[in-house]
Amino acid sequence: MSAGNRDVDVQLDVTLIARWQRGDQRAASELVERHAQALARFAAAQGVREGVEELVQDTFVRAFNSLESFRAESSLRTWLFTILKRLMLDRQRADRRAKSQVELDEGHAVQEFNALDGLVADEAMQRVRQAVDRLSPLQREVFTLRVTEGMAYTEIARVVGSTEGACRVHYHNAMRAVKEYLSDD
Amino acid sequence: MTDCPNGTVRDLLPEYAHGLLEGNEAALVAEQVAACAMCREELALLGQVNEGLTRGAPRVDVAAIVRALPTAATPRLAQTTSRRWVSRHVWQYATAAGLILVAGSGIVWKYEPDGQVTRVADSSHVATTAADVAPSAASMSADEGITFGGGLSDLSVDDLQLLLGQMDSLRTLPSTDPQSVTPVIAINDGGKTL
Repeated sequence: MSAGNRDVDVQLDVTLIARWQRGDQRAASELVERHAQALARFAAAQGVREGVEELVQDTFVRAFNSLESFRAESSLRTWLFTILKRLMLDRQRADRRAKSQVELDEGHAVQEFNALDGLVADEAMQRVRQAVDRLSPLQREVFTLRVTEGMAYTEIARVVGSTEGACRVHYHNAMRAVKEYLSDD
Repeated sequence: MTDCPNGTVRDLLPEYAHGLLEGNEAALVAEQVAACAMCREELALLGQVNEGLTRGAPRVDVAAIVRALPTAATPRLAQTTSRRWVSRHVWQYATAAGLILVAGSGIVWKYEPDGQVTRVADSSHVATTAADVAPSAASMSADEGITFGGGLSDLSVDDLQLLLGQMDSLRTLPSTDPQSVTPVIAINDGGKTL
């Protein structure tokens, strides 16, 4: 696979990081601008309904606090997604603990989920969202990164902590499931 | 919706949709998409899913995120370095103060260039031998001998700085712990020595 455009993107990030390290705060703005929306998209696609912006902000704060140790072995974007995924897992664990404390019932959670899904006005778009929501968490992560970011399997494997081959299988299974759900109409 | 049997092209469709392919690969996929209705359908579906997920995502406030970020690395590095410098020198000054206290109790030592230590004045509390300090003394050059005695408080700031610099080159410092002494007391008690 040709990686020309991807390399240009990676190189631009490296240049911006170097500028920020030399004291140019505008480079930080450019980096956030380049990646923040993609991170928010990923978090929302994984079912995060509240505090998406906070998650994205925490991701950047963590990343910038350890940019000195960033070795560019993977692209900055892949690294940011990896941090975000870890933060989402932490939050899920915390939410689960909190839920078991207040004993929220299942119905309440489903109701909240459906109500917020109404934010997607277009019915066709809602169907697409529902098709994606029905995927297993791992399938959904792989599918989202591939479809919304065009991310390569090697990068996806880094983010989700799996292998390139397994990610390819997950993607094609997810695509089949989405097609089946949408053709049921 | 059925799948195109050309798995290679189907696998490249997401990258093609994002314009990430170049050269032969881009041409191969373009050709296949033009000729295959199933590939066109899948490409359209990819666009639909992408749009659905993008529209469903909240907009983030880039400026707010940037405000929360740490400032650029260069000043932070400088701050860290300066903090290290301070902590290092605090210990040096503390050590110097300790030495001044010891010296104030009446000990006078002279480090000779040949690595020997000569006791110049007596002390009833501290005793040490040349062997105790030989390794550190050996690390000093002939013209770096340190001589200090009596009231070190008489030393100027420059002298103290010189002393600190030379302390850096010492691998160990002479022990200031008193050595154990077995008392030998002779008491003549009516012709008998006890």
